Amino acid sequence: VGKKVQAIYLWWHKPVIDKELLQSLPNLKVIANSGVGMDHLDLKLIASFGVKMANAPRAVSSATADTGMALLLASARRLVEVHNISISPSMEYCEADILGVKVTGATLGIIGMGSIGYKIALRAKAFEMNILYHNRTRRKMQEEQAVGATYCKKIDSLLQQADFVMLVVSLTPQTHKLIGKRELELMKPTATLINISRGAVVDQEALAAALQTGVIRAAALDVTSPEPLPREHPLLKLKNVIITPHLGIKTDKATYMITEEAVENILAALNGLPLPSEVLPS
Amino acid sequence: MWYHKPAINEELLQSLPNLKVVASSGVGIDHLDLKLLSRYGVKVSNTPFIVSTDTADMGMALLLASSRRLVEGHEMAVSPDTEYFPADWLGVEVSGATLGIVGMGTIGYKVAERAKAFEMKILYHNRNQRKKEEESAVGAIYCKKIDDLLQQSDFVLLAVNLTPQTHKLIGKRELELMKPTATLINISRGLVVDQDALVEALQNKVIKAAALDVTYPEPLPRDHPLLKLKNVIITPHIGSATNKTRWVMMEEMTESIEAALAGLPIPREVL
Repeated sequence: VGKKVQAIYLWWHKPVIDKELLQSLPNLKVIANSGVGMDHLDLKLIASFGVKMANAPRAVSSATADTGMALLLASARRLVEVHNISISPSMEYCEADILGVKVTGATLGIIGMGSIGYKIALRAKAFEMNILYHNRTRRKMQEEQAVGATYCKKIDSLLQQADFVMLVVSLTPQTHKLIGKRELELMKPTATLINISRGAVVDQEALAAALQTGVIRAAALDVTSPEPLPREHPLLKLKNVIITPHLGIKTDKATYMITEEAVENILAALNGLPLPSEVLPS
Repeated sequence: MWYHKPAINEELLQSLPNLKVVASSGVGIDHLDLKLLSRYGVKVSNTPFIVSTDTADMGMALLLASSRRLVEGHEMAVSPDTEYFPADWLGVEVSGATLGIVGMGTIGYKVAERAKAFEMKILYHNRNQRKKEEESAVGAIYCKKIDDLLQQSDFVLLAVNLTPQTHKLIGKRELELMKPTATLINISRGLVVDQDALVEALQNKVIKAAALDVTYPEPLPRDHPLLKLKNVIITPHIGSATNKTRWVMMEEMTESIEAALAGLPIPREVL
């Protein structure tokens, strides 16, 4: 059976692509990933077996940007907290205590201004947010102007000014623990951290400590390390944290489009044609 | 007047012979008997515009949270019983979906501005059609008949004020016109919706989900079926509940009161 396999459609990180698997599939030509993140794959290893790799960048950006905004709004307005109050058997709450943070006109700092980060900027602009961004490279002036975004060459400058900090980078050795104790302390005590990138971009212990001591106001995380977190993890118990189960791309439409993109890539590889979204080992 | 308290009735007005003004917080005045107050020579003011952006933000927050099953997802992520995240757990995509706004006043229009950035297709139903430039700015299409809006929308957002005409505007008939995949979002008043019909519609999958910042009464009795449905998000009427906005509301109310007591024209007077 191993000899018949020419393509793998990798769904939600399974199967695990290791040396053993690659050796058992001598005719494997292509692995198509369901999503855009490639940090769970050893690209050099796979390339060394002559196997091509592809991801699905087009399908994921809108759904993930929507998730970023959903988390920003839910955290700002304490949505999960107040829903639980609304349905709880005891009715004792004081309306005056349930105040959230104003989103319209606030400052959003986007760390990682790729396709997803840019779509977030487009959405945030409609909320009249002041947009700052930090990226490996600066975007073109017209792109900046279209969303009213200001480039922050130094991440510190973004962290100090933002009411909401949104992480939209890919996970690389450079972005590993990008947000640690130092960065959290640079943030405003009234600020919210939103992570839709990868859990490992944040130093989780530092984050838990920062949330417990009021160094920052709140966090909303669609991604953690690992997923799910161990059940005794401090992040699960904090009132000012929203955690969602990596649902960034989990919509009916996105999953359909991801599968379409994967099939396109697989067919191209099997027919010896250029892949629409090939990923090469850097 | 804060959150509809105290209740203004004939008894109260008789006991306060020197009452000159009632400053109401927020924009809604459905809880006030304007004719009664007028008979007693008492002026009324509200805080109509400052609440608009927060309320529009809340509408979008509820729309996004409901579509992506955010509350359910959070519960799964933190529950002691969770061992892994299932691969087949899906929400509904917002980008590119159709939003039907019922009530395109200041708040409804701000919702449209926000929804446009999510590339949503926007339909609206209103007493009057908006100007062409206003429609084009947000890409909104007028539905003279509410039925047309209900039949085409993936998300129906209620942003009307409560009047005799909008009381139980959304009932069994309207819910049945909606798509079975549609979500109802209410940021107007609980009484705009026939709650019993809504419960039935949600239980029988006539519509997919609901997200309500307002109910009738507020809060709901603890045994109310809406509190138990998995496909319902309820928030305790916090549309305008942000620090900044509440501060401005207080300032505006104080300003109106001071003007009334000084016999000057009252800012934001309700006639």
